[in-house]
Amino acid sequence: MPTTAPVEAPRSGPAPEAAIDAEVLELGRRLARRRPSVRNLSRVANDRMMALVARDPQLRAALFRLVDVAPACADADELAAHLDAFLSDVEHHSPPVALAARASTARGARHATGRIGFAAVRQMAGRFIVGETPASAAPALRRLWERGSAISVDLLGEATVTHDEGRAYADRCDETLVTLAAAAQQWPARPLLERDSAGVLPRVNLSVKVTALTPLIRAEAPERGRADAADHLRRLLRRARDVGAHLHIDMESMDSRDLILELVLELLSEPEFKAGPSAGIVLQAYLRDSEETLDGILDWAGAADRAVPLAIRLVKGAYWDHETIEALQNGWVPPVYTEKVESDRCYERITRRLIDVHPLVRPAIASHNLRSVAHAVVYARRAGLATHDLELQVLRGLGDDLQDALAAEGLRGRTYCPVGDMVAGMAYLVRRLLENTSNDSFLASRTGGAALDPLLIRP
Amino acid sequence: MTTTFRNEPLLELRRAPERERLLAALSAVDATLPLAVPVIVAGSRRDEPSFASVDPGAPERVVANATSATAGDVDDAVRAAQRAARTWGATPASERAAILARAAGELRRRRHELAALAVRECAKPWAEADADVCEAIDFVEYYARQAVLLDAGPQLLQLPGERNTLHYRPRGVVAVIAPWNFPVAIATGMTVAALATGNGVCLKPAEQSPACALAIVDALLVAGVPAEAIALLPGEGDVGAALVAHPGVHTIAFTGSGEVGLEIMRRAADPAPGQRHLKRVVAEMGGKNCLVVDGDADVDDVVPALIASAFGFAGQKCSAASRALVHERIIDHVLERLAGALDTLLVGPADRFGVDVPPLIERSSVERVERIVGAARSDGATVHRVERMPAGDGYFAAPTLVAGARQDAAVVQQEIFGPVLSVEAVRDVDEACERIDAQAHALTCGLFSRNPRTIAEVARRTPVGNLYVNRGTTGAMVGRQPFGGNRLSGNGTKAGGPDYLMHFVEPVVVTENTVRHGLVV
Repeated sequence: MPTTAPVEAPRSGPAPEAAIDAEVLELGRRLARRRPSVRNLSRVANDRMMALVARDPQLRAALFRLVDVAPACADADELAAHLDAFLSDVEHHSPPVALAARASTARGARHATGRIGFAAVRQMAGRFIVGETPASAAPALRRLWERGSAISVDLLGEATVTHDEGRAYADRCDETLVTLAAAAQQWPARPLLERDSAGVLPRVNLSVKVTALTPLIRAEAPERGRADAADHLRRLLRRARDVGAHLHIDMESMDSRDLILELVLELLSEPEFKAGPSAGIVLQAYLRDSEETLDGILDWAGAADRAVPLAIRLVKGAYWDHETIEALQNGWVPPVYTEKVESDRCYERITRRLIDVHPLVRPAIASHNLRSVAHAVVYARRAGLATHDLELQVLRGLGDDLQDALAAEGLRGRTYCPVGDMVAGMAYLVRRLLENTSNDSFLASRTGGAALDPLLIRP
Repeated sequence: MTTTFRNEPLLELRRAPERERLLAALSAVDATLPLAVPVIVAGSRRDEPSFASVDPGAPERVVANATSATAGDVDDAVRAAQRAARTWGATPASERAAILARAAGELRRRRHELAALAVRECAKPWAEADADVCEAIDFVEYYARQAVLLDAGPQLLQLPGERNTLHYRPRGVVAVIAPWNFPVAIATGMTVAALATGNGVCLKPAEQSPACALAIVDALLVAGVPAEAIALLPGEGDVGAALVAHPGVHTIAFTGSGEVGLEIMRRAADPAPGQRHLKRVVAEMGGKNCLVVDGDADVDDVVPALIASAFGFAGQKCSAASRALVHERIIDHVLERLAGALDTLLVGPADRFGVDVPPLIERSSVERVERIVGAARSDGATVHRVERMPAGDGYFAAPTLVAGARQDAAVVQQEIFGPVLSVEAVRDVDEACERIDAQAHALTCGLFSRNPRTIAEVARRTPVGNLYVNRGTTGAMVGRQPFGGNRLSGNGTKAGGPDYLMHFVEPVVVTENTVRHGLVV
């Protein structure tokens, strides 16, 4: 049994959970108050629509199906026909639904409805996607930087099912590193975002997906995709090293988790990457074995003789439905926690461990849950970390307000920015919309008018 | 048997220890090869090997030396089953179910070994071999429960003065003629459906997979199924023919080719001298399955589903997709991505994790594939094949896409049972439905569409037994997707479904007058 720490913990060391709760509450309230007062009108309308959708499951389903199919529709008429079919499944028509249903059925109005539908989907996509190409996204990335947020770019794409597609994705990643490295040189200095106590933090930060690099990912044969992915990944690591960028390898579903983790740690151990680049991986707190996974990563980090500490982005995980459904259909124990609160608790446990081992790894707390964020900030402060030693990450389109509040509070933030066209972005967009309108979403709760304090108590 | 049915969990092969366990089981099986598969009648075993099953990936490796059943064996087996049917049929359904549950436990205990056996004897890739064993367990658990429910009988209308009861009686002797492509699951399913309902069974496995069948029979015997109630009769077509012709057989449960199925029906229709009953035939035959891709489909999902449906287990499933009917608006895009995806397929021995396409079951299958692909090519169709093929004398056929074949070409019309997919452009889903409607087969169909109205319309008009929407066409699960085709694909029986057992029983209604001297007594 661990001994009970005194309530009055010394300011230099980590405090027991209960003692930091009061500070978390205070910081959470302050961050909530720092929401920008002047807001983009279409964003407000968009938030209201999201709140409306979140309350009506059938409407929510119809909207997702519309967004999902929009890029595949040949023209406005076809989109309207889909909308009409989706809405016919909605039993209780609220006034806006009834109006849309009439418009998508009426012959004269159908074309116009389809066009409005396209425009709406495009507008929604524009909220989450910063640009179609790295070059066209560069101005928006610069604006984020100037507003006090670092960035990480994620290139959206179709699923990789062929070797050509894997190569094309690797080429795009490579070009992105070069393009953004040139663009970022013109950015103004932002000392908070560019250096922590371990050294330089690259301005250019690219997130890559291993399953997009190779069509050979087979859950039951990780070795098949490994060699192919390794070739592409080495090339990107070299480029990142040469242009001084950070390469972050995203985590996806359990089917590729072990492969990605083993592959990345192995590559980073290779002699040519000892001096760089700065690189990172992702830990998903909703996985029941995420703490064991962390054990392995920390063992590796302790033994690895690399010049730059590994960055670990801590997320809750975006494939909960997928993991749960797949497990139920195959008769497996779901690899994820079934209760949200269990994930939230695991998230805080891992947060504390990442901070406790500082400076072995660079922690990046990626969450829109104000409690999770405030907990990390308070815990890190009490553990004696400097402000710049804790990174806080948000998603473009979902966490923009939070990012502004973090910047106003003097904290170091980074915005994850998808880049790509609408067809390719749809899977991402639908997932983000689902996330934003799900009942247990922190953001949806807030937009829906839930009281703040209960959301800030310890999970 | 009071618990509700749940599908047997598949092995979580994405975890390395699970894979290692299977490879260890394979080594253990390999150390015992070749196995001996005897004729088993009433518990006595006759072992005089006359034919062999081999590893399709390395035909020099003999998996089993089997004894072919003689006409005398067939006759002995049917008579034993007749005797058994009286006692086993009189055993309460719940007791039979309890014995079968033990058999399921036995299969479960041996699941790694059985999967390894299916890998060796039929070249089933690991995931599919494991699924085959799980499906076998599912059939046992599902039919055992269904038989108990059936035994309770349905409620009839009751009026004052009469008592009406309906109950289902076993038909007697069931001849099971099983295929090699689901060497554990289908043989087990047909056998336990008959046993659960109280019949005696004579099992004639495919000549390509006798060892898998022996494992099933052993599991049933160990569990306590009476020895006379289950006979194992290995052999070729003559053994099946003798069973079909035998006057003591009541039901023939067959899964296999349409040609053989039709012959069985003809033979079964003709009563033998001394036969006092009509034979019933449960027939699951071939398919020529289409996957329809509408213009609004998500191509990211379509390509992997097509690849898995057409090339999984080298296309040797009756549910496999062999025609893709793709909306003309997106066919170029789909074809380009399909061809690229085809190039990523690894052809190789089934025992290697990561192999996508295993060898075919026998040399003649490879020759059939080459003949049909060759004809399509010389007819002017575009043919795209996997180029890197394994060395050696395994029965490998290159996964093949055929585009632009004529509608009367063999590749469009015939069941191939190999890794060949014909890709055809259609104006719209309506035209795709017309092409499907023109076929004699009606087993499975896939549809990729995101319009609920299109989905409803295809569901309304499709002739097939199993329509899969926005997914591949293979992998039916017991209790979830009762499986079986219409038209020349089968007589509409649904394996793994709630009415399957009806083919193994006869309904008897007893009506008793309960009025005596004008009073209800």
